[in-house]
Order: sequence, then structure tokens, then C-alpha cells
Amino acid sequence: MKILVVDDFSTMRRIIKNLLRDLGLNNTAEADDGTTALPMLQGGGFDLLVTDWNMPGMQGIDLLKHVRADESLKDLPVLMVTAEQKREQIVEAAQAGVNGYIVKPFTAQTLKEKLDKIFERIEG
Amino acid sequence: MDENEILTDENIARVRDLLVALESGDATGANEVIDDLAKIRETDIYKEMGRITRELHDAISAFGMDEQLNVLAQSEIPDARQRLRHVIEMTDQAANRTLNEVEASLPICEGLEKRSSELHENWNRFKKRDMDLNEFKQLAKNMDDFFIANTGDASKLRGSLTNVLMAQDFQDLTSQIIKKVITLVEEVENNLVEIIKLTGGLEKVDGKAVAAKEDKLAGPVVPGVNDKGSTVSGQDDVDDLLSSLGF
Repeated sequence: MKILVVDDFSTMRRIIKNLLRDLGLNNTAEADDGTTALPMLQGGGFDLLVTDWNMPGMQGIDLLKHVRADESLKDLPVLMVTAEQKREQIVEAAQAGVNGYIVKPFTAQTLKEKLDKIFERIEG
Repeated sequence: MDENEILTDENIARVRDLLVALESGDATGANEVIDDLAKIRETDIYKEMGRITRELHDAISAFGMDEQLNVLAQSEIPDARQRLRHVIEMTDQAANRTLNEVEASLPICEGLEKRSSELHENWNRFKKRDMDLNEFKQLAKNMDDFFIANTGDASKLRGSLTNVLMAQDFQDLTSQIIKKVITLVEEVENNLVEIIKLTGGLEKVDGKAVAAKEDKLAGPVVPGVNDKGSTVSGQDDVDDLLSSLGF
């Protein structure tokens, strides 16, 4: 299970990476916005994308749309972890095909629950 | 310009002159009169421009004399920028210090867990007398190693936890800095209101025109600033909204 963690703040990337490691998910890579993340994803090998929304360069929502529009990536599970909590934004992310939406600040338990749900759906 | 200003004997005379010049075919004379009439208008425009320039000059002087405003613009605003940058630096440092310690501590905990469970397994075998002498000797040595390692690891963990504790000092310090910036923003706000009053703009302010442009991305919810309206109040709300969309 290889995971790409995308956030413009390195501290948040570190927090997410440490939480993932705690859940036994050691194989992670990092990118600081959509522009750097997309080529990494297109390079292949990733099983899950965890991304922030508000980033310089390409934002998380646009990264999600690119992923869904890309034939080789369209089925990649995407978990959004963001401080954006306007209803229309959550609806927009859902319509763009997000698999999970976590608002910051979040707990380790929330991350685990959302990941479990995503994995359940993949296996089911 | 007063509408009646144009009703002078001079102007009546000018028009008579113009009529005479035109009727007698005196083109030069006619042009002179028309130039004279045009100058009357130009003079009014110059007067008006002069008045506006004077007002502008007075207003600029008033700004210049407002020492408080000068200090705000020239030193306190840049100072506030610097303070806020410092807040970013401090929070960044604190987060990294904490994360470093956590990253250093987690493998220690994992090692501790592993050694304990191995030792526990062998200890259970010893209690059941399922162990030969050589194995027991090894167990005794492992126990020695375990105690020594644990003492060292506990001391490392305590050091890390103390550092995590110390890293939280940013909260106190950044709060003090941010409070100062809030005070400054209030001061600037009051000054701006004064300027608007001075220039008479307050009556003309159109609620719609100045309604704060709402960012597409609202960012973190700040209580009392942007926690109203169509924002969700936490993860449970997000989950409810998504499940209502069929998630």
C-alpha cells in the first residue's frame, strides 16, 4: 500500500505520515501541491491519495478532478484532509468524486475510520 | 459657476460686436469676439481646478500633519508584518521540534514493546519449567540487557517528552504578539474611519459596494469571524452532509 500525501505545510505532511505509520502504513511519499503531485501519481504505483484543498499552484480539488479525468488514475481512492468546511465545498468535492473528507483539526481516530471505510469499499 | 454671471452688459456688448463684425464681413473681428467669449468659460474651469487643487493640497497637508498616521504607516505596519512573520516562524519551529521528538520516541516505544513481549514469552516458558539450563542462562542475560536498555530508553523518552513540553511555549509567546497586532489593527481602523469622515465618503458608502468580498476558500474556521452561515461545525457534520449525498 503506497500513499501520496499532498499538503503545502511540511508539518501537516509529517503529522499525517506519522499517523499513517502508526496504522502500519509505512510506504508514503510527499508532494507540496497538485502540480508536483500529479506527475508523481501518473508515474504510477500509488494506491491512495491523501490531499489538502487550499495549496499554491494546483489546489486539491483540481488535483482530484485531474485524477478522475485520467484513465490510469480514475479509480484511485482520494481522501481529502482540509480546513475548508463550507457546505458547498464539501458538496463540490463529493461531486468531483472524493472518497473521504476530513476537516482539520482532526484526530488519529477520524483518520483511521475514514481509511478503514475506503479500504472496505476497495475490498468489497 | 453661477448661471446669472453670464448676464452682464459686457457680454451683451460682445454679442453686438460679433453681430456687427459678421454683418460687415469682418472675419478677424468676429474671431476676436468668439475668442473672448471662450476665455470666459476657460477662466471658470481654471477657477474650479484651482479650488480642487487647493482642497487636495489642504487634505494632503492634513495627512502629513497627522503624526500618528505617519508612525502607523512608516513603522508600525512594517513592524506588525515582522511580528506576524515571527509568529509563523515560531509555530513552525514548535511543530518541527515536537515532530522530531515524536519521531525519535516512536521507535523506542516499538523496541520496548518488542523486547517486553519476547521476554514475557520466555518467562512464561520458564514458569512452566519448559526450559533447559542453557536457555535459562540466556534468559537471565536477556533480563539484564532488558533492564539496562529500559533504563536508558526511559531516560531518552523523558528527555523527549520534556522537549515536547518546552516546545509548547510558542502558544504563550505568539498570543502576546498577535494581541499586539490586534491592537494595532484597531488603531488603523479608527484612523481610516476618521479619514473617510474627513473626505465625506461615509455618507456615500454603499453597503453593497463595500460588502467584504468573500473568498472562494474560507480557510480554517475562526470563532466569531467566519463560523456563521454555511459552514459545517466539525467532522460529524461533514459525515452527515456526505451521507445525505449518498456517501
